[in-house]
Amino acid sequence: MSQTATPQAAPPPAAAATAPAPAPAVAAKPTPGLVDTPALLNRWQLIGMTTAILFGVFSALIQFGGWQADGRAADDTEQLVRVQEIQSSLLRADALATNAFLVGGLEEPEQRKEYDDALESVLRQIANAAEAQPADREVLATLNVDVTAYATAVAQARDNNRQGFPIGAEYLSGASTELRADALPILDALVKANTDRAENAMAGQHPFWLLVLGIVALVALVWLNRELAQHFKRRINKGLAIAAAIVLVVTVVTAFAALLRDNSNDSLREGELATAVSEANARTAANDAKANESLRLINRGSGEGFEDLWSVSAKEVEKFASRDTRSGWDAYVAQHNEIVELDRAGKWDEAVEIATKEAGGSTESLDAFDQLSQQIVTANGTQATDDLRSGRVVALVLSGLTLLLGVAAAVAVSRGIGERRREFA
Amino acid sequence: MIRGLRKWAVPFAALLVLAGCGYDDTTVPKPEAVVTTPAVPTTPVKCDNKLQSYAPSDNRGAAIANLANKGRLVVGVSGDTLRLGSRNPETGKIEGFDIAFAQRVADELGVPMVVRVISAADRIGLLEKGEIDMVARNMTVNCDRWSKVAFSAVYYNATQKVLVRADAEKDYKGPQSLSGKRVCAPTSSTSVDNIKAIQPDVVAVLALKHTGCLVKFQNGDVDAITGDDTVLAGLAAQDPYAVVPKQGKLTDEPYGIAVNKGDVALARFINSVLDEMRSDGSWKDTYDEWLKPYLLVDATPPTPVYGR
Repeated sequence: MSQTATPQAAPPPAAAATAPAPAPAVAAKPTPGLVDTPALLNRWQLIGMTTAILFGVFSALIQFGGWQADGRAADDTEQLVRVQEIQSSLLRADALATNAFLVGGLEEPEQRKEYDDALESVLRQIANAAEAQPADREVLATLNVDVTAYATAVAQARDNNRQGFPIGAEYLSGASTELRADALPILDALVKANTDRAENAMAGQHPFWLLVLGIVALVALVWLNRELAQHFKRRINKGLAIAAAIVLVVTVVTAFAALLRDNSNDSLREGELATAVSEANARTAANDAKANESLRLINRGSGEGFEDLWSVSAKEVEKFASRDTRSGWDAYVAQHNEIVELDRAGKWDEAVEIATKEAGGSTESLDAFDQLSQQIVTANGTQATDDLRSGRVVALVLSGLTLLLGVAAAVAVSRGIGERRREFA
Repeated sequence: MIRGLRKWAVPFAALLVLAGCGYDDTTVPKPEAVVTTPAVPTTPVKCDNKLQSYAPSDNRGAAIANLANKGRLVVGVSGDTLRLGSRNPETGKIEGFDIAFAQRVADELGVPMVVRVISAADRIGLLEKGEIDMVARNMTVNCDRWSKVAFSAVYYNATQKVLVRADAEKDYKGPQSLSGKRVCAPTSSTSVDNIKAIQPDVVAVLALKHTGCLVKFQNGDVDAITGDDTVLAGLAAQDPYAVVPKQGKLTDEPYGIAVNKGDVALARFINSVLDEMRSDGSWKDTYDEWLKPYLLVDATPPTPVYGR
């Protein structure tokens, strides 16, 4: 390095050795038509070292970016699963609240606890999500307000209902309507934003650019070697050859590693992540459907509008549910169809019985679907984040090694060209 | 060597910062604005005597034959008007003054009654479509409605009044006290029009149902609710801070049981059942059970007017 920092003064041309000393300004200039070899060597040294350093820096940066992207992808996936959990739990709470209302009389303590747990989970997850992703914080604050308003309205509904006041039903249906009008659009936006973030971050590996960078560096070093060979009648410069070998090995190893990560991310995106997202969508839609089933029956005889909403949710479930949860959903649908048939035939009491009984009713079927669905979401979400985080240390070490090897290649270039300089001197 | 490395350190650090740059804030798309078209004003329908119904007939066969829903009497009722027609949260059953009349008609017809909770706005449309056979939902008899449905003789004479906050009771002197106040009434009811005709400076606020008005009232979104005294008594019973002050009636609201316009046989049959209820004392028993504890006055059955 010191050679490039303080280039040696060019030796006087051989032909001018016996000539009288020229004026100082003219003496520094090489004679036109003759090659100023030391200056040329300095230039080549600079080009060669810059090539090696730039290769090391940019290659390391691309890998560092990939390492960061995988970390972000894991965080974004976790956030996505968290946001979808909020969405599902919120509609689960609504399904439980509306179903409890349908039962009438004193609410079962277990059912009340399940509602409280679902709502507590929602509020905790909102706090966790706001801490995990500052970009979501503002909309999560709005969501927090909406969920609190929903919980308050349901509490008012319950209090009035316990006193036998019909206004309780109005508070409940108002709470459900506001939930869908205010909170769900926020959750939809959060799901979309975090899906985009996770997918973008998963596409953060760039094996192609690592390869291109390596090829460009190699071409530059080969060109340099050719220039040197033409001037010094030696085919291969040892330093340049070492630098080229370093660049070649680093390029092959890092591009291959990035390609492996890229393929792994692709399979995660289309595999575990897609399954987690789809199943969460199915779970959300299924609970929405159950809430609409209850609202249909609460609006005794005038609930056909809720049946339309139920059908929209059911189509979502059919679109997104995995094979594992599909049979559970089909069992629920069969019972729901029976409820609709009875309600349309004016047998409302029998319809309510099927919708609310603890064993053998539509609630039990939906609970089974919900539990299995949640397990699938959790398992696949965890698998996706674990996979994204695994092997990240290797990527970081490779990035650091690439930088050091870039410097080593630069040193090799410097020494290789320094050797020629010594020969020339 | 070290100096050379330092030279690269600054741009490298800058690139690292760029590589780790943050996310765009999540935004929620604004909901599309709902375009509403103003209702076309309708010309009031005139008639000779809106209280006049068909002469009673106990021809059960004719009444059953015309039922839109064979083998059962589907009745449109309120599910949230306490004391008239509301769901008992303990039993899940719909019960009240209106329901008792409908149940008696079904019993006399000898068919099961199926109640269907409907909003005030749905009453006429569902009868016209034949989805329900009868409406027993505090429905005021008027000429406009006679042009679309058929009514029984009047079974109860309600009056329109105003409900206010308990702390506004002593200052309430009638509709003139409502100038600039927000007054709630259900969509498609005539209550707001009636009060605006007396006090044009009332700010009308609409809700789908009276219980929707009570929610707004409890949340401080409206200052008063207007409606039939029977309905307001039920609302006041659900909120200790809501009172119906002593006041003169704004309008008369005679209730009739509505059926499809072409189903005169059923209207006649209902009139015969009402006659029976008036004469056997069950009208008074029903009133005493459901309304007297809240309206706190004795009432006598309205005198039927026939001849249509």
